[in-house]
Amino acid sequence: MAAPTAEKVQEIREVTRIERIGAHSHIRGLGLDDALEARQVSQGMVGQVKARKAAGVILEIIKDGKIAGRGILIAGQPGTGKTAIAMGMAQALGTDTPFTSIAGSEIFSLEMSKTEALTQAFRKSIGVRIKEETEIIEGEIVEVQIDRPATGTGAKVGKLTLKTTEMETIYQLGQKMIESLTKEKAQAGDIVTIDKATGKITKLGRSFTRARDYDAMGAQTKFVQCPEGELQKRKEVVHTVTLHEIDVINSRTQGFLALFSGDTGEIKSEVREQINSKVAEWREEGKAEIVPGVLFIDEVHMLDIECFSFLNRALESDMAPILIMATNRGITRIRGTQYTSPHGIPIDLLDRLVIISTSPYEEKEIKQILRIRCEEEDVEMSDDALTVLTRIGMETSLRYAIQLITASSLVCRKRKGSEVDVEDIKRVYSLFLDESRSTQFLKEYQQEFMFNEMVPDEMETS
Amino acid sequence: MNDPVEAGRILSHLAEIEVVAEEILSTRREIIDLDKQRNKTREAMRALQKEKKDNKVWLCTGNMFLKVENSKAVKMLSKDFEVLDAEVSKSRATLKPQVNKLRDLERKDELKGFNLVALTPEERKSVENLI
Repeated sequence: MAAPTAEKVQEIREVTRIERIGAHSHIRGLGLDDALEARQVSQGMVGQVKARKAAGVILEIIKDGKIAGRGILIAGQPGTGKTAIAMGMAQALGTDTPFTSIAGSEIFSLEMSKTEALTQAFRKSIGVRIKEETEIIEGEIVEVQIDRPATGTGAKVGKLTLKTTEMETIYQLGQKMIESLTKEKAQAGDIVTIDKATGKITKLGRSFTRARDYDAMGAQTKFVQCPEGELQKRKEVVHTVTLHEIDVINSRTQGFLALFSGDTGEIKSEVREQINSKVAEWREEGKAEIVPGVLFIDEVHMLDIECFSFLNRALESDMAPILIMATNRGITRIRGTQYTSPHGIPIDLLDRLVIISTSPYEEKEIKQILRIRCEEEDVEMSDDALTVLTRIGMETSLRYAIQLITASSLVCRKRKGSEVDVEDIKRVYSLFLDESRSTQFLKEYQQEFMFNEMVPDEMETS
Repeated sequence: MNDPVEAGRILSHLAEIEVVAEEILSTRREIIDLDKQRNKTREAMRALQKEKKDNKVWLCTGNMFLKVENSKAVKMLSKDFEVLDAEVSKSRATLKPQVNKLRDLERKDELKGFNLVALTPEERKSVENLI
């Protein structure tokens, strides 16, 4: 049952990912130069020079793998690029360093406890680098010769001639190898690898020199260069897996399928302890390296006091990742208590964090961001329209202005225009209310809405 | 570039890189040659095993033809094979520090996980589905 599913998963992997245009899809990195100075406009990032530079310094420390179990708080007003900075850090880290991004409210799930959800997020952010080593024979098949015994039954024997650009040799084949060769349909001109330990044959493709053997061939025929060098090679592959993945695979009840279905449920703490000790053992023997990754918690003020005390403790563990949090709150009540605290985070946790603050964008920067977004969303916009949109962005919010881009381009397309004009912007501005105009409207017509007798004090429930 | 001291420094640096790169190439060459010999030895051993009768055979070693008994020839060859096997792994072991040195000279980052010890097949089973 497991085998066909595994094959299916392989198939899915080969499909190229089509990315939809997300709110931060224009971010390619932090936009820093080699001296960690932030360029004004680079890699989709605009302004926030100080915050980006600070993030760059932290990034360098993460890359060195020097610090673990540190916390960083990105604080700033809404729409000042907090998430963008975190995304930029993730992009700059590359694929080798695990990066997990969750929203603060994500951990409140009915299926698992808050601490379990946090633990899983923590373990998803810690990578383990391991190496596998295989002896393989890699070469182009010159000739396969299989002798059938005269009687028709009995063991077949055969010869396999393999070559690289440097050498050529003959292998005597036994019954098993002949079977796997016929199963793979390997023939002269194919490039194959043979795993020495298991005898497994893998076809890599056909040799370029044989490209003209046939006129018609399947679309999936892949041509590869004849391998260079020695026939018997040692292949070393380095993998980075996360602790969470190892957890799931070794948590007996689900098996590895749970990884793909996403329904992992709770993992027993004994399993985790075993894995921790195993990984520690590997590290001791030089078989594994720990890669502390990054856990990003957006809207961190949504966590409650229990989570914060859990974070406090979890950060002190020797296998903790770098914790980056973002919040847009000022001095506010800590969730689950009656106490207020800066950013809605208890003082004792705040004490362990370094804080990066972002400041509101200036008009010039907003214009630049809007221009980048226009490019990202494939919208042509005239300079006047962009200026108008920038003003809207200044007076309302950056997010509202960004939302108007696609809307106005649709209006423009409807009138068969090629470029978004001031008129289009005006039209969508009148169609869609921003937050302050909506509030204004509600204040004026409050009497005509339902349940309007609610006293403001009662509305604040949590 | 007009500064002769600077130019000399660059030149010596480039020369140093070139020396290390040459060393790597020669080690690679060595591995290939050893593997070629190893495969030839293996072929010869197989051919001798097929020889049914235990009479004397002609054995060409280097530039010399020897007439030896079959069993003795196999023994000699298998000894050769073992030595070649050891030589190949020795050359491979020297290749790693050389590559690291070259990357260091070229100011590139050290390869990740380069110095790890490989997992044993049993250990690999526990993470098999991930890799």
